[in-house]
Amino acid sequence: MIPLSWYLVVAFVLIGMGAYGMMVKRNLIRIIISAEIMGNGVSIALIATALFSPVFTFTGQALVILVIAVSAAHTALGVVIMLLYNRRYNTVDLGLAVSAKEEATA
Amino acid sequence: MMMMLLMQELESVFEQVEFIAIAAIVIILAFLALEHKDIVYAVFFFGMMASVVAGFFLLLEAPFVAGMQIAVYTGGITALIIFGVLLIPRAQDSSLEILQDPKMRKVGLVLSSLVAILSAFAALLFPWAESFPADRPDISQSLEGLAQWLWASHGVYVQIIAIIIFTTLVGAMVLVRMEKEEHLSPFVEDFNPPFAEVAETGPPEGKPVHEIVAVDAEVDDE
Repeated sequence: MIPLSWYLVVAFVLIGMGAYGMMVKRNLIRIIISAEIMGNGVSIALIATALFSPVFTFTGQALVILVIAVSAAHTALGVVIMLLYNRRYNTVDLGLAVSAKEEATA
Repeated sequence: MMMMLLMQELESVFEQVEFIAIAAIVIILAFLALEHKDIVYAVFFFGMMASVVAGFFLLLEAPFVAGMQIAVYTGGITALIIFGVLLIPRAQDSSLEILQDPKMRKVGLVLSSLVAILSAFAALLFPWAESFPADRPDISQSLEGLAQWLWASHGVYVQIIAIIIFTTLVGAMVLVRMEKEEHLSPFVEDFNPPFAEVAETGPPEGKPVHEIVAVDAEVDDE
């Protein structure tokens, strides 16, 4: 049997990679993908903990089913916001709007 | 008896090899999804990564969740993002991948690595074996128990999630139908004039917006 810590290490690596993408990337699509990668890491951690815990038996699996459903909904919302952003500013570059706003307030 | 022990040992080794292979593929695909220059390929790699993560769920004796992961992530979310990319030709603009401030990349890399490494060390050092008793219930292939938990004893959570999804989708449809002149124009005034002008007229063919804004800003400085 694989130890729980191995699964958690992979989960935390995925969460770290997702956090890197969310901090560094300017393309809105990359940011959505980063959020999904983080979500996958969280799902692995939940299911692994559920398998090893006697009180958490089905809770982890059920939570992950709910997390997958919600992540589908938030991706749909993210894509819609991206379409609106592109319609307004003719780009999906998030850094452009942030820097322009900073310049305007300075 | 010896044969049985040998078989168990072999099974354990095979499981570990399986885990290491899946983990390596998942991390490589996640890296490609984040760093590949072509955004369509990046989304494709993300879909593959989501499918391979389902392998972890199979190893963790959660076949229903593995099926749902493939159906929703690979079949739904990836397709949705690809449709988004197809609707926005500028999403594939390679200039978006060049950071205006290279320091930001280093800071992001250091911060996220720090979080991942510290958490991973904590997970490795924590005495999990002492925290969880060895005689855990067998949940392999037990869809009945999962359905019981989800629909009989905790059905309210499913209803709450259904309401959240419904609200999100209605909100998404309302947002898509918003006309930019009616609802979004007040926000443009928050930005500086060159950006607002570009936003109103749109960029000329073949030139990214941030270059036009940068040129306009330089002219203003002079």
